[in-house]
Amino acid sequence: MRKQSVIFLLMVLAICVGLVTLSSTSFAKEVSYLSLADYTGPIAGLNVPADMGLEDYIKDINSKGGVDGVKIKFIGIDTRYDVARAVSAYKRYRRTPRLLVVNSISTGIGKAVARLIERDKRLQIVPGDGEFQAHIQRTFIWGPAYQDAFAATLDWIMDDWKAKGNSGAPVVGYLSWDNPYGREHLRGGKEYAEKLGIKFLPPEFFPPGTLKHDVYLTRLAKAGANYIHAGGVDPTPTNVIRDAYALGITKKIQMTTDYWGPTALGIGVHAKALEGTVITSFYQRGDDSRNNPFVADLWKKHRGSMEKFNEVYGMGMSWGMTYVAGLTAALKAVGYDNLKPDDMYKAYQGITGLDKHGIQGVCAYSPTSRRGSLEVKIYRVKNGKIVPITDWRKAPDAVSLHKF
Amino acid sequence: MRPCGVFDKSYGLDIAIIRTWQHWVILISALILLYTFPLFGSYYLVSFMNSLAITVIVVLGLQIVSGYCGQISFGQAAFMAIGAYTSAILTIKFGFSFWIALPLSGIMAGIVGIIGGAPSLRIKGMYLAMATIAIHFVVIWLILHMEITGSFKGLYPLPPSLGGFEFDTDERIFYIIMTVMVIMTYAARNLVRSKVGRAFVAIRDNDLAGEVMGVNLYYYKLLAFFVSCFYAGIAGSLWGHLITVVNTEQFTLMHALEYVGMLIIGGMGSIPGVFFGVLFIRILNELVMFSSPVLAKALPWLGSSPAAALGLIAFGLAVIVFLIFEPRGLAHRWEIFKASYRLYPFAH
Repeated sequence: MRKQSVIFLLMVLAICVGLVTLSSTSFAKEVSYLSLADYTGPIAGLNVPADMGLEDYIKDINSKGGVDGVKIKFIGIDTRYDVARAVSAYKRYRRTPRLLVVNSISTGIGKAVARLIERDKRLQIVPGDGEFQAHIQRTFIWGPAYQDAFAATLDWIMDDWKAKGNSGAPVVGYLSWDNPYGREHLRGGKEYAEKLGIKFLPPEFFPPGTLKHDVYLTRLAKAGANYIHAGGVDPTPTNVIRDAYALGITKKIQMTTDYWGPTALGIGVHAKALEGTVITSFYQRGDDSRNNPFVADLWKKHRGSMEKFNEVYGMGMSWGMTYVAGLTAALKAVGYDNLKPDDMYKAYQGITGLDKHGIQGVCAYSPTSRRGSLEVKIYRVKNGKIVPITDWRKAPDAVSLHKF
Repeated sequence: MRPCGVFDKSYGLDIAIIRTWQHWVILISALILLYTFPLFGSYYLVSFMNSLAITVIVVLGLQIVSGYCGQISFGQAAFMAIGAYTSAILTIKFGFSFWIALPLSGIMAGIVGIIGGAPSLRIKGMYLAMATIAIHFVVIWLILHMEITGSFKGLYPLPPSLGGFEFDTDERIFYIIMTVMVIMTYAARNLVRSKVGRAFVAIRDNDLAGEVMGVNLYYYKLLAFFVSCFYAGIAGSLWGHLITVVNTEQFTLMHALEYVGMLIIGGMGSIPGVFFGVLFIRILNELVMFSSPVLAKALPWLGSSPAAALGLIAFGLAVIVFLIFEPRGLAHRWEIFKASYRLYPFAH
């Protein structure tokens, strides 16, 4: 018994020593990137492929010698969409030497970490919360704000309404998660709808994780909606539209989604139901992304066949491009030895116009802009594929319409 | 069980929590260690201890209503939210001091808890559990749809201050959180030994027999809910002022389920069990969270996301294995351990 206990203790000790050794080994010159991501929770469908793209991009940069000899360390933490876990993780890593960027993936997490970020004079990137554009601080968003993209959808709705030979303005319904993300679109988006003269129905909200959306959809349909905008991160919009299809709503009402709308995965499962759905995206979708040689080459190199390709992968790559551009500028400004997170913050404000190989519009970060890009592209699901129906177009500034 | 050779020679000694000089030495040493921890503990460990202590307070409340009184509750996260929002509203919108807002948050949560606990007068077991889940959703819905709570935007309470001294870092607020935790633990320990505590246990073991013996079921059930929610409210207030941002995403049903899990793993009906359960789950959680990047580094072909999933699987396995081999909770294991050394040199 005692011998077994000693062996067991030795094994535990060996594992601990191994883990400590592994976690402490580092390159001579290294900077870090912390991803507070959701790998196993409600938005894992978005996070997993996005961080795969980022990781592969970083691997590629490191294999080529890094950025001016400085290697990038990727730290991916699974927050499970939980604010407390994310804050705990940030506190664990905030004193990591040269931790330059934190990607807080969730509107709630971004808000909770923002104060610590300000205190640490660091920068964080977050999905699309327009509040960070309204109050310029150290939080940058990935693309246009949610309300900007929603306003672009409303523009398209107006065009479509007129193209169908209708006069006046359409009636638009909105349903999304009952959380800060779900309501963010309306802070500016609602004002934009009023500006266009659109009749905006009282929005419907449901808890994340809801499996059936019949009640909300029926209410919007009965209220006379011509268009329904389905929010939530995929698979939620896919499930909402699946329910709308089952109710026969999609025959009369045009469904639209934001940039977390159906991906190839959802369309593969519910192709019939999603047919005709319109997606407003700030990053390339469908075959646009699949045929982007820059994206496809990296995927094939690290993941093999394109069969399981997910377009969110490209968006992850664009985070990597921004990081590399910022790091290059920061190293040029202060050198590796003097490099502090604050230098990266300054550098991010100067990478305006950075080309992202067509994955998304050019970088719009500047001292007065926290938007990752200004353009969106409108896509439609046609014959089970996501095809573009517009070129890149500038999303309206809906953030400035709202009093934050 | 008394250690060998230790006898209760007076009534005072019989009811004492701390009976021997060894107990006093351990207690004082532990308190010294606790209060000097920020002097030698890393920033991360201090912040981890803060969230650990807040969780202990929430689960202590749950232990009283579920572990001692036998009323299953999945509403603890919602009651914590009530405490957090009450404190934030009182301090931001009405200019109250944190020191006044703290107990008021507990009272507010307690009052709502009485309303939430009302179904326990008519239903029990899984039916009551379902009712408390409904309460969770009602509370969160109300918070999201009220103007005073900041709706979905949430509120931004400030760190506590005392005479111009700001408790604005984890190291500083540590002392407030630990002091509250110690007081709340002491209060819970005493409550369960009192007439009220015995009434709770009577209701848990056989409510009908308890009623026949003169235990007022309605009064004591609602009292258990009040006390439990008071604890949750206090924890919520501390959490809000620690993290300085309060929104509903911080108080989900998953958190409520986790608190119940902590109770089961620690041991139902035991105050030390609360500490064991919270420590076990939180440490396991942290290990899983931080071993994922290490795994991803050791096995680069795996990538970060699958490594995180492996961690989750390991977490689930640990809980299952634990429940199979120690279904009565860690507190039971601790009792066996205590008995073995207290009876030394005799076999137990």
